[in-house]
This record gives sequence, structure tokens and C-alpha cells, in this order.
Amino acid sequence: MNDMSTRAKMPSTEEITLIKKFLDDTTLFLGPDPEIMQNHDLMPRTDIEDAAITTVSDAHTVAKIRDRIQAGCDEGFEMVEQMGAAPGAKWGDVITGVYSASGDLAIASAGGVLIFSALVHHPIKFIIKNWMNDPTVGVKEGDGFIHNDSRYGNVHNTDQSMILPIFHKGKLVCWVASTVHEGENGAIEPGGMPSMAESPSDEGLKMSPFKVVENYQIKRDILTFLQNSVREPKLQYEDMKVKLFACLRIKQRIEETLNTDGPEALVATLRLTMENVRAEVKRRISEWPDMTVRTYIIQDSTLRENCVVKINCKLTKIGDRLIFDFRGSSPEFTNRATNTIVAGLKGMLAQVFLCYVWPDLPRGQAAFAPIEVITDPHSIVNCSYDAPNSQSLMSIFTGFTAGQHAVAKFLYSCPEKFTKVHAPTFNMINTFIWGGVSQHGETLGNLCADLNGMGAGATVNRDGEHALAPVFATMADIGEQELNEEEVPFLQLVSKKMTRDAIAPGKYRGGQGYTMMVATKDSEQWGFMTTAQGAKIPPLQGLFGGYACGTYPLCKVKDVDVYDVLMNEPERFRHSIEDLMNEQPFDEASYSTHHMGMGFEISKRGELFMISQGAGAGYGDLLERDPGDVIKDIEEGLISPGVAARLYKVVFDAKTLAIDFDATEAARAEERQARIARSTPYAEFIKGWNKPKPPAHLQYFGCWGDDTGTLYMGSPEITRRGDQPRPNYMTHPKDVRIAELEARLIAAGAMGDEKK
Amino acid sequence: MKRVSVDIGGTFTDCFVVWGGQYIETKALTTHHNLAMGFNEALGKACDTLGLGLEEILGKVDSVRYATTLGTNALIEHKGPKIGMLVTAGYEATVPLSRARGYGEGLDNLGQQDMPNAQRPDPLVEPHMICGVRERLDFEGKMVMRLDEEDVRRQLRELVDRGAQIIVVALVNSVVNPAHEQRIEEIVLEEYPTHLLGAIPVILSHQVAGRKGEYVRATSAIVDGYLHSTMYHALSALEQNLRAHKYEKPMLVIHNSGGMAQLNSTDALQTIHSGPVSGIGASEHLSMQAALGNVVATDMGGTSYDIGIVVEGGIKHYDFNPVIDRWLVSVPMVHLVTLGAGGGSVASYDRMYKTVKCGPESAGSDPGPACYDRGGMQPTVTDADLLLGYLDAKNYAGGSISLNPRRAKAAVEDALCDELDCDVIEAAKLIRQKVDDNMANGLFTELRARGYDPKDFTMLAYGGNGPLHCCGIAQNLSIDQILAPPLSSVFSAVGAGNMHQLHIHEQSLYMVLYDSNTRHIFDDYDRFNAIVAELKEKGTQDLLRQGVPLEQISHDLELDMRYGNQLVQTTAVIPAHEVHGPGDVLAIISQFSTDYGKRFGEGSQAPEAGIRINTIRVAAYAKHETVKFEDIKPLPKPERSAPPAPDSHRTCHFVGFDQAFETPVWARKDIVPGVEIEGPAIVASEVTTFLVNPGWTYVAAKQGASWFLRNEAPITRH
Repeated sequence: MNDMSTRAKMPSTEEITLIKKFLDDTTLFLGPDPEIMQNHDLMPRTDIEDAAITTVSDAHTVAKIRDRIQAGCDEGFEMVEQMGAAPGAKWGDVITGVYSASGDLAIASAGGVLIFSALVHHPIKFIIKNWMNDPTVGVKEGDGFIHNDSRYGNVHNTDQSMILPIFHKGKLVCWVASTVHEGENGAIEPGGMPSMAESPSDEGLKMSPFKVVENYQIKRDILTFLQNSVREPKLQYEDMKVKLFACLRIKQRIEETLNTDGPEALVATLRLTMENVRAEVKRRISEWPDMTVRTYIIQDSTLRENCVVKINCKLTKIGDRLIFDFRGSSPEFTNRATNTIVAGLKGMLAQVFLCYVWPDLPRGQAAFAPIEVITDPHSIVNCSYDAPNSQSLMSIFTGFTAGQHAVAKFLYSCPEKFTKVHAPTFNMINTFIWGGVSQHGETLGNLCADLNGMGAGATVNRDGEHALAPVFATMADIGEQELNEEEVPFLQLVSKKMTRDAIAPGKYRGGQGYTMMVATKDSEQWGFMTTAQGAKIPPLQGLFGGYACGTYPLCKVKDVDVYDVLMNEPERFRHSIEDLMNEQPFDEASYSTHHMGMGFEISKRGELFMISQGAGAGYGDLLERDPGDVIKDIEEGLISPGVAARLYKVVFDAKTLAIDFDATEAARAEERQARIARSTPYAEFIKGWNKPKPPAHLQYFGCWGDDTGTLYMGSPEITRRGDQPRPNYMTHPKDVRIAELEARLIAAGAMGDEKK
Repeated sequence: MKRVSVDIGGTFTDCFVVWGGQYIETKALTTHHNLAMGFNEALGKACDTLGLGLEEILGKVDSVRYATTLGTNALIEHKGPKIGMLVTAGYEATVPLSRARGYGEGLDNLGQQDMPNAQRPDPLVEPHMICGVRERLDFEGKMVMRLDEEDVRRQLRELVDRGAQIIVVALVNSVVNPAHEQRIEEIVLEEYPTHLLGAIPVILSHQVAGRKGEYVRATSAIVDGYLHSTMYHALSALEQNLRAHKYEKPMLVIHNSGGMAQLNSTDALQTIHSGPVSGIGASEHLSMQAALGNVVATDMGGTSYDIGIVVEGGIKHYDFNPVIDRWLVSVPMVHLVTLGAGGGSVASYDRMYKTVKCGPESAGSDPGPACYDRGGMQPTVTDADLLLGYLDAKNYAGGSISLNPRRAKAAVEDALCDELDCDVIEAAKLIRQKVDDNMANGLFTELRARGYDPKDFTMLAYGGNGPLHCCGIAQNLSIDQILAPPLSSVFSAVGAGNMHQLHIHEQSLYMVLYDSNTRHIFDDYDRFNAIVAELKEKGTQDLLRQGVPLEQISHDLELDMRYGNQLVQTTAVIPAHEVHGPGDVLAIISQFSTDYGKRFGEGSQAPEAGIRINTIRVAAYAKHETVKFEDIKPLPKPERSAPPAPDSHRTCHFVGFDQAFETPVWARKDIVPGVEIEGPAIVASEVTTFLVNPGWTYVAAKQGASWFLRNEAPITRH
């Protein structure tokens, strides 16, 4: 016992130093560092920054330098967008930024995907902490570092960054970085976002930050290794070069400032820019009402199997603090790819504020720095190092929407508004990811730009815009099919046609999505995959009485060569999913409907794959919708007359679409009465509605009811405490299917001896 | 040479008459209800100067040329016919969805970032007026689904029943195989023949724009169709007016491609922005004649700051997908960038950064700056300029507007002084500094993005506020010389007077010059040569049709090329128009590499990823005689003369200097060529104020040109 108490004694300072030195000297592997990865706030002011601010603190001088650096970032952004070879680069899925010497993002390009650079501060801080003083690596002028592993700070491993340190007279003054959604990365499925990944080992290239550039030249041996690790060596080469030269262009701009205004001016500008924005955010938050809003969003699959996955969100504002509490969200999946690191979630929440709440704020890390985020460890929104996360967008985007939905309630009550109160934007990447060998013999793996056409939510005073922008970027592009078809061996036979009745009704309806119908034409080695939630349960919520969007499954028509049909029996072809699936016009073809988690599937010539982009949420009671707007929606093919009449209670002539206003008023009054008749007192409703546990027939993940501390793991009988991680394995869908079939064989008495 | 050129702007109709050795510049208010009236008045003033009659002048000039903003205005005001549109089935929402990003085209950064307020502009074609027709071609133009003619007739009748006044046809991949579009035109003519009153004009997308991109080509055709009748009627009325006054020759219309053509060889789309483009043309002409080298042309007015680039060697800077009003289109247009910075730009307090913001909001001309005394309460750049002493309150804009300094002072004090804890002069300096910085940053980005260094450029400063702000802008850019050009008050009209007849034809294609997979170098020389020959022939026929003799027709060949699968299409000007062997192909590759390296940095080239041609473009042109500028270069310093005694002095304040300067003021008309004035100084004319900052020298040159030269030894700042 005495010995035990001796061992338990607190070590002295000297002993702590010795232990730390031993541990530092014997580190096996420099994995993602929780100290870096869990912190999204600004680093403390350094002595150098203090001294610089003492020397240069004039707000007008700082503003002048900031504008100049901003112009440099914008110039670099334009270069990447123009020169980049990845489809993502062409559609604006890129960004450039300037980071302080401590690694904080101070200024980002005005265009592009903010979340990219909002996360790059993590790998920069990793470089500073681990490589700066490492004699085998070091950080010196002319160096450049590459990075893509999300666990070191990234959305997913498709995005690659080039990071350059900037020196002045031998001293590090800042960093510049450029990030592009490259797509292909050598994962088990082409395109860089494998939903089949069951561990990080399936997710392709996993580049922790390492040096790939010396003397401003890309090292050919490392480049060759990287090219050898992916399906598109050309893309890997081209875009590394593009990012390097964009960084060099920004570096030129910074050097001009260094030469004309001195390093103190630059350092002070970067620091004060961040501190001023952070202070302004605190001020704005303090004007919000003190209150709490609770909401949740449901994912309806892991992309491998149907299930119900909860993203739970409680948003509380007290004084000048704003706290997102995601505890109660689903546990992480140990062998499914829909998890996200918490930094990814935070990056996307930053997007809520910079594009949907305070669009006037400059884009950078500081705008989200003072906002707090709480999660359960090893949850789907804060996954562990060992969990795959190549489909993190599923959780990042549903987390974003939970935040957007909660924030809207605050905005409504906020005295000073910087934009309109609005319902959530559609949040899923309903697009085709593709890969294979093109008609030109090139091996490709990437995706259609249609992911950028998410429908906008309705606002306080008007309908949402159709297919406006992805939740993660502004001014993104859904592209030109004529240009795409030059490079890929499939046609979009339906490219942009509004999907009828795929609506989110309300007083103001959400912006609608459009139909995409693809078929491989000129390759025998080509396939598609899709990765989205929302085939069975909408991944949104409506606002103030408005509805969520519809659901959007994947449909396939196989055992047909539609190109033969188009040439020989064109009258059989329909340009509508609804018509093709209902009428089934091709003899011998098979027609099927699926959830949106289609793993990579080789497509034969002429087989049809059909999906729809989704709608933003509706705002307000649909009985208050202007009848004229309902008819306009019918005329524009957004809604069928029957659905319009049933939902909106508008009475009109079926042929002329002339509105009978009196009859409409009467129908609406009747519906209001019917609503009252259907209603029950709140306590009674709760009594009938609430169940103690999730239903047994659904695989349900996350908290249930008010108890956010208990997380269900696919069954009412299997739980974990929020703060006590447990493995959460899913059975392979093929094994599930085999078990089902075997059960049927057993039931039919036909199993025989195979199972013994 | 005897010539009349006109720039019909939103406010003024500018007229420039060359009559032998005489250059006459006149202005009249634009008469929107009948453009000919404004034209006649402006030309009448020139007649008075020359002592000749209208008919005598119009009977003897070699040409009358028009640049006009009429089309731009019609778009903004949404005055156009009801368009019906036929597209490939399955692509009905391509135009309404505007590539998603269409909501932000033509907006500033804030407008593009603010998603809840994002709203697409009112459509030029209503969604229910777009019908899909059953047909499909692939990327090589091969048929995938034949055109269903009955379907076309059915959809056509439907559109006409819904009120279509014009039909636009935009089918997928029609630029590589226009057969289906052409057949639809025939069907429209069969259904609605031209001899009947109900005939309907048809616009085919492949005839308006020759490059791939189904959305941008469709919007090009729509804008063209939308403006077609408006432009035709207005310009025809102008031509009839000329005929009535004894002008017998064809009227020439300036194109945004930087050239011009007869009315019957002009698409409506080509006339958009032709006024500002003419200003760039004038800059180019001036640069060549006066051997100025690289020039950046800047036009600062009340609400905007236009920037254009003219570089030595004849490289033209085009936007191949320019934004016209709010619409992304696909026509080659002379590159022109417009920033939201002008005299009317509103200044406000930037709470976050504790400094001054300037623009992009503008007080415009109504109510205008606070000092206009028309109800404007917000401080503007012009208010700051007045408070700093640069403007003559009693003689602004030739005395047409009386400025009220008390209003300016009150506006600046109310909006800024308390927040900034400074006096009104300091606040005015901050406004001035901010707006000049904004313009300098925009100009810098513009030049640098194209691989140029600003210090290698002469700045041309025109527009009402250009000479007032040019020193402050150039100071930030290491630009050492600025020219306020001769004839600057009608500069765009001068540009129109120097245009050449020009037609551009282009063809999208998938042509691999170097295939990195097979390591094969292009050898289908006949294909390349045949396409170039066809495009040349089209341009030649355009000019022959307008009476240009064959021997006066020249051609330039440009190739849009890229490495691997990049988006960027760097344009290479290729001297040899035919290829006959690997040497010719490698010469093209080398030219491309040089141009690309200049733009993005030497070493950024990536030929290992393959090299492709995406577009072949041929410009066919016929040169015309041009205006001769005299030697407008500033005299060498020893030959310069001292100015006369100044008319007056004003107390002026300058950014970077604590103390005020008693600044001499001269009237421009009193300054003869060769006079040199050290800054700080003011030289005022009826149309602008030439502000010479400390550290700069003003030198008057011939033909009314004014130079600002940065002193070799900058004076010490306090």
C-alpha cells in the first residue's frame, strides 16, 4: 500500500519535464493532434504581433494593406479557377487564403468554398508544431507543403491544399494556401468520396502535411509517388502546379507590402483584421435575444443501408456567447463513411454565418472563432481517428442545416438584420459521381457539377430560388453539358428540367430541383455512384409552418440500350423520371428505385440512371400562398394541378387555369376548420405521441426524447452514454441480404446442409 | 479625311467631326424618343463651327459611324418582345437556372455572398415560353435522336398561341452540327411564311455564337433576339435621318468586338457596350500614334470606373463570356472592367475596422452628392473633393451645377467625424484615400491577372472625374506617367471615328495538338486548314457584302488553347494561318507556352498533361484611314515653359500631408502646349479638373493633351 501511494504522488516539475522529454523523443507517429484539431479559436497574440501592433496600429493604414492582400487572394483564386484541371476548380470549388505566422486564417478570397480554408489552419498549425524545428524537415523559404487527410484538418480527402510559408529577411511572417476539390484520390471507389469505405484505409491518399516543394519546385520523386497513387496522374500533376503558382502570385502581393510598408504592417494587419472581426461577431451576438432553440435533422441512410440517424442540435445564446450543442447526435459508425471530424462541422457552421446570417462580414476564421460548439466524443459529428469519414458531407451538411434552422428563429427576433430570415437550403449533393475510361482513353474519376444546384429556402417575403447554389459556396456553377460531354463518355439525356411535384410548400415555397438522367455511351469501362440522404426522409425542416422538401430516390432502368431506342423507336423515350417509371415503356427492361447511396456501379451502354436535385424548404402556412403564384407554378411545370389543388386548396378551371377566388377562399376556410377538428390539446398529443424508446423495427441512431445523454445504436436495446464511446459496427449489406435469403430458405425448408 | 462619328450615351450625344485638318467636338442632350434629334443638334453645332450646312457635311463625309448604349438601356429597362424558345428536350430549365450562379452575374461581392437575398433577374424569356423539342446530337455532332418535326410544329404553335413574337432556337451541340437548328428555321418559315403578316423572326443560336456552352450560347441568342427589333428600328430611323440629309453611303455601326460594320451586317448583341469599347479603341489608336507603349485606359465618371487594357504588339484583350447587364453571354467583346467607384460613391463608417468604407453604393446624379443640394444626405467622393479644396463650388461642370460646401461638410461630419474622432478635413482625406485605393486595387488586379506589371504602363485618365483622381490612383501603383488625352470630352466618339470594319468568326472544336497518353503530336493538317479557311471565307464574304474590295481584306488567326483538362483558354495569336508539318504544330505550341507563361508565371506551363485547341477564331478586317494625332508627347524638361500667373489660389489638403497648401489655379484654356506646372496645382476646364498632387508635374501638350509626370525625387512626406 505504501508503494502504491508513493507511485500515485504528483510528479515534480522536474519530473514532468523529464517525462515530457521522454514521450516527445519516443513518439511513434505524429497523428492528428487533438490540441490542434479541437480548437477553432484564434491563437493567442504573440510577442511579435504585439510589437507589430505597437508599431502599426492606424486603422486606415491597416485597411489599405488588408484591401491589397484581399486583392491578392482574389487574384490567386481566379488563377486556380482558371488554370485548375479538376472539375471542382472549374466550378468554383477552390479557395485561397493568407494565414498568420501562428496559422490562423486572416484573409480568404472573396469567392470560393470558405470551409476549405477555414480548415487549413489545422494542418498549418501541425506544420508549425511538428516540422518547424524538426531537423529532418524544417520550414524554410521556397518550401511548400501538401495536405489532404481530413483528420489533420479537411472536409474530406478529395480536397488537396498547397501551403507556402512566407519569409521576410529570414523570419516567418505568414502563410499562404490554396485548396481545390480535386476529386480522384485513389480510394476504393473513383471520384474521391467512397461510400464503400469501411475504414480510413479504404479512403485513398492520406496525406498528412508534408513537404513537396523546395526552392519553389515540386519534387519530382514525390510527385511521381502521388501520381502513382491515384487514378488520374494528369490531374494530380496539373493541379499541384496550379496551386503552387497561385500561392506564388499571392506571395508576390505580400512581398510588395513587406517592401513598401514593412513586416510589422503586414503582421499587424493580419492580426487586427482577425481581432476586429471577432469583436464585431461578439457584438452582434450580444444583440440577439437570450434564448434556446432545439432542432434536429434526420439522415435516412449510411449510404450502405437504410436507417434513421439523428443530428441533434440545441442552440443557446447567453450574453455575448452563442453555443451550438450537438450532444445527442448519432454515435459514430465504426465502419461507415458518413462520420465527420468536428472541425468539418465547425467549418460548415461558419458558412451559415458568413453566407446566410452576416454576409457582409469578411471571410476568415475569425467570424466563427468566438462561437462555441459542444459534441459527444466519437459521435457522427465528432468522429475518432479510426473512423472513416470520406462521406463526411452527409453529417457536415445535415449539421449545417440544423444550425441554419435554429439560427433562423434567432434572426426573426433580432433587431438588426444583415439579410433576410429564410428557411433552410437544400443540403445534399444530388449528383452523379463517375469514373472509368473515357472515349479518349483517359482514366477519369470525378463528379457532375450538378451538386452545385441546390434549391434555396423560401424567405420571409418570397419563394426560394431554384437550384441556386450549394450550401458550401456562392457563385458556384452547374456547368455546361456541351463542354462536359467532350471529356466524358456519357450523355445527360435530361440535364436540366424541373422535377414536377418535388416541392417544399409554404406561403412561400422553396426553390425547386431539377431532373438528371444519364446513360453511358462511348465506353465499356464506365460507372456511376450517388451519395446523398433524403430518399425516404427529407434532410431539411421547413420554417414557421412551411414544409420540408420532398424525397428524392435514385431510379434505374437496366437491360436496355436507350441509344438504340432513341435511334430506332424514339417515340418510346420519355424525358421524365415520373413517366419512365410509371409507364415503363421499354420492353424487357428492368425498372427499380433505390436510396441515394449507390456504391460505384459499372453501367452498360444505354442503361439509365435518374435522380433529382432537391428543393429548399418552405416558409409560412401554405394556405396563405397567393393563388396566382400557385397557378404560375403549374404553368412552369413545378407542380401538377392535382397536387396544387390538394395542397394549397386553390380552386381553378382545369383547362384555362382561371382561379375561382371565392371558391378558393371557401376551400381554405374549410381546411382551417378541418385543422381545428383534427387537433388535440398539447398534453394529450404528447401523451399519445411520445414513446419511451425508438421503435424496434427501425435501425435508429442517436438520442431519443429529452435524454440527450443516452445514444441508441440501431436498436432500442443497444445504447451508450454520450460521453462513453463504444464501437458501432454495421453488418455488410450483402451479409444482411444473405441472412435474409437463408432465413427464407430455412422457412421454406430448402436450406439443406449449406449452413452447417 | 472627312468623317462624322457619334457616341449616343444615356445623357449626352457626343459628336466628333473630322473635316480635313480640323477636329470638332460637340455635345447635345440625348433625345431618347428620337435619337436623330440629338444627333442633328450635336452635328448642327459642328456645322456652326465649320460654317457649313448639315447636308453639305453629310454629302461629303466618307462615313458616319455610331456607337450607342441604346441596347444596354433596352435590356436594363426590360423593353423587348415576348420571346418563345425551342431547346433540346431535357434542357428546358437550362436558361431559367442560369448555371446556378446567374443570380450573381453583374453584382458586386456582397450581392454574390448574400444568399438569402440572392434572386435571379427577371427573365428575358419566361419559363413557360420555353419548349423542349425531341432531338439530340452528341459532342461530335453525331445524331443520337433525330429531330421530331411534328413535335417541333406542335411546340411552335403552342409558343405562338402563348404570344411569342420572336422564336429563339438553341439546341445542344448545334455549333458542331447545325442541321437541326436550320431545319427548325425552315419549319418556322413553312408554318409562318414571310409574305404573311404573322411572320415570326427566328434566331438560331449557332449563328449568334460559335462556341460550345449551351447556356451561354442560348443567352446570347436570347439577348440578340430581345434587342433585335428595338435596335433595328432605332438604327434604321437614324439611317433614314441621314438619307433625308443627303448622306448616300451605308451607315456604320460600332461593335463591341472593337470593329464596325454596316447595319445589315450587325447583330443587335454586337452593339452592346459599343460606347465604352470605342473609348478603348481610341486609347489603342492614341497609343500607337503617339508611341505610348502599354496603356491602361481609365474612365471615371459619377458612378463607375471603367478599365481597359491596350498593350504593345497588338494583343487584344477580349472577354469571351462577358456579362451584359446581368446575363452571361458568349460573344467576343473587348475586355472592359467596371468598378463601382465614382464621384457619387457613398462613404460610410466601417464599424468593424474603425475606418472609412467607400461604395459600391452611389448617390448617382439624383439626389447626387450632398453638395449638389438636391436632398442627398450621405457624404460622397465629390463632397470630399469639394471639402479638400479641389473643386470650384461656383463653377462646377462648367457652371451648370452650384455646389454647397456646407452640405458637404454636414454630411461628412454626421456620417464620419464623430465615429472616427477626427475633423472634417481628415475625414475627407480618408474618403479620398479609400476611393483611390479601391480603384488602384481594382486596376492592379486587372493588370496582374493578365500577367502585366502596372509600372510598365501609361495611365490614360478621362471621364469627368478621371483627371481629378488619377495622381492618387497612380501613386499606389508605381505608375509614373498619366495622360489626360486630347479630345477627352468626346473620347468614345473619337474611338468610333478610328474603327476598322471587322468581323469575327469562331468555331468550337476538340482538337488535340499533343496527346499525353499516346505521346502523339497532331498531324491532321487538312482538318485544321479547312476550318481556318472556312472561317476566313465567312469573314471575307461579310466584308465583300459591304462593298469592301477583296484586296483590302486581312485576317488574324487566334487559337484558344489549354493544357490538359483546364478551364482556362489562353488565346494565342498565330502568325501562320496554315499548318503543313510538325514544325508548324510545334510553333503553335511554343507560341501558346510563351503567352501562358506571361500570364500565369514562367514555369506554370504544363504541356506534359496534353495540349488542346478549343476554339479557332478568325478576325477579318478592312482598315480605314484614321485620325492623325500630332506629337502629343511632353516636351523634354529643358524645353518646357513656365505657366502664366495663376487665376487664383485655393486652400487644398492632400492625403499624406498634414499641412494645407495654398494651391494655384489656372484655367485650362490659358495653358499653352509646353507649359509645365509643379504640383500641388489645379488646372480647371469646363468638363473636368486636373488635380496635380504634390510630387507630380503637369505638362500641357498639343491638341489639348495633359500629362501628369511623377517627379524623379518624391518629396518627403510628413
